[in-house]
Amino acid sequence: MTRKTFLLSAALLATLPFVSCKKSEDAGKLSVGFLLKSKGNQYFVTCEQGARAAAEELDIDLRVDGPISADPAKQNEIVENWITDGLDVIVAACENKDSLSTALRKAQDAGIKVITYDADAQPDARSFFSNQATAQGIGEKLIDTSASLTDGSGEFAIITGTLTSANLNEWIAAIKVRQAEKYPGMKLVDIRPCDDNKDKAQQEATNLLSAHPNLKAIVAVCSPGVPGAAEAVKQAGKTGAVKVVGLGLPSENRAYVKEGVTQAIILWNPEDLGYLAVHAGVALAKGNLTGGSESFKAGKLGNLEIEGDSIILGTPFTFTKENIDNFDF
Amino acid sequence: MIAVELVLFQVLGRNFLTGGNVSNVFRHSVEIGLLALAMTPVILTGGIDLSVGSLMGLCAVLFGMMVKMLGLDPWVAGCLAVLCGAMGGAVNAGLVAGLKLPPLIVTLGTFSLFRGLAEAFTKGSESYSGFSEEFLALGNSDLAGVPTQVWILVAVGLGIWFLVHRTTYGRSLRAIGFAEEGARYAGLPVGRNLSLAYISAGAVAGLAAVILVARLGEARANAGIGYELLAITAVVLGGVSIFGGSGNVSGTVLGWISLAILNNGLTRISDYEILGEKVSSVARELSGLLTGLLLLSALALAASTKTLALRRARKQSTPDPQSP
Repeated sequence: MTRKTFLLSAALLATLPFVSCKKSEDAGKLSVGFLLKSKGNQYFVTCEQGARAAAEELDIDLRVDGPISADPAKQNEIVENWITDGLDVIVAACENKDSLSTALRKAQDAGIKVITYDADAQPDARSFFSNQATAQGIGEKLIDTSASLTDGSGEFAIITGTLTSANLNEWIAAIKVRQAEKYPGMKLVDIRPCDDNKDKAQQEATNLLSAHPNLKAIVAVCSPGVPGAAEAVKQAGKTGAVKVVGLGLPSENRAYVKEGVTQAIILWNPEDLGYLAVHAGVALAKGNLTGGSESFKAGKLGNLEIEGDSIILGTPFTFTKENIDNFDF
Repeated sequence: MIAVELVLFQVLGRNFLTGGNVSNVFRHSVEIGLLALAMTPVILTGGIDLSVGSLMGLCAVLFGMMVKMLGLDPWVAGCLAVLCGAMGGAVNAGLVAGLKLPPLIVTLGTFSLFRGLAEAFTKGSESYSGFSEEFLALGNSDLAGVPTQVWILVAVGLGIWFLVHRTTYGRSLRAIGFAEEGARYAGLPVGRNLSLAYISAGAVAGLAAVILVARLGEARANAGIGYELLAITAVVLGGVSIFGGSGNVSGTVLGWISLAILNNGLTRISDYEILGEKVSSVARELSGLLTGLLLLSALALAASTKTLALRRARKQSTPDPQSP
């Protein structure tokens, strides 16, 4: 490149900051950034659908973004770019809790309102957490569903991830409390870990079926456990005789649910979660949601309970043969 | 190439050439810039270092452990993390220079080894956070209007530039890359100089890890995943021959800047609708595609201008009208 062309192009580049054909943003419209844990995950794509529905309803400018790689720095970079853009609200699901908190605190310092959903940040890095479900809510839903399938009597067993997993143990504790209280006819005969592995779950479930011939239900509290247990029941020829209920993704269980091996899958509806989080962010920015609020009206979801600084989405959703085809995550 | 990117993103994107965003562009890519700078001497020798990204993960974890479990001052721990990086580099150096194993294979091995160690130390999921404000400022504050860590990059860049272009060491790196055996016969300390290149790459990876932790506020085993490939891309984009022997540090810097702009600029494109699809939700996925296109077209362009020049030179030297 000769010196002349270099100078010419440098001069042209110098004028760049003054030319931009980018349309200006609608003045007065609230701008909200909706951060996903990852863009390729169908669960978050479904969250995004709910967020977009809420944005339409509330007439706001919604920007959705999320990393596509495993690089832990990517979420921070997105948030920092949003800070530069001067967004009003950031609604985030945290992949790495502590590192994203650093960026969210920066956003708060810049006057941006922060709401988390799905996976929380440090409490000082956000105002509210849109909590998909409490341990109690999940545990009770699982045992209630099993009880309704077995008429509240008979033996049942639990398949868990690992015996040391904190959140799974909370759910199991909630199951035990509820069962002792409401379903005295039921009896928990065993709790087996599957190491979050489907094959191991199948093997454990097969052992359970032979060790406890009167077993009426298997409750799987970890997602690989549900299809694992279903496969074991199917191969033992006990389809329908032993009910399978669990917490998992509809996509991983669709085939078993349609065959009637698995009766119910329990999970919150991610679409509702995204919808709630955006509603909460907007309410926070408008001053309709403040610390100390005890309940919050989130559009079509109605009044939701607030516990401390988390907004509870409500009781988990039950996926059955009838509705499972409406969900593709 | 950089000019094309600037024009494109300024026209299509929002808030692209604003002070805040320019500072973001550099803040977010300092780590890759450091790795690219340290990779330059290695590639000049005809070698490669695939392990620097993994080494970043290992150094980040070790740094976190030193601060959180041993209670060391973050600055002391930072220096120790750089030392750990140098030791990791020394492993590569020993195998490449000492045992004369091919660098691609050696660093492919340490690529898994370092990340594996980091994951083993943290059982895959543990992480370290809660560092002091002063330390986090290294990654999040400005010094004289420029992100603090950029000054470190400038210092490292000048240091490496000096080494490569102003010392006999730098000349010997090229000689090794051009013809290793020849360099040996010429009496150059090939083994020692090769080792130095890998050890300094390791040390810089340690430094990059500390800066990344300061920016994120969390040390975790997955720090720096994939960074080695981005660093190599920047170096090759900058015109350094992957076969060794030729290239310069300023080229690496330009290669790095064009990558950094691409990465940031894509996230700036938003609010356009094509067939009812919001463009912003597609732009990020294009980053890999465009990085690949950028690299390949740069290489193709360089190769074709070289062939053209060669053909022209041949034509001038053989003015025989009979020749076809």
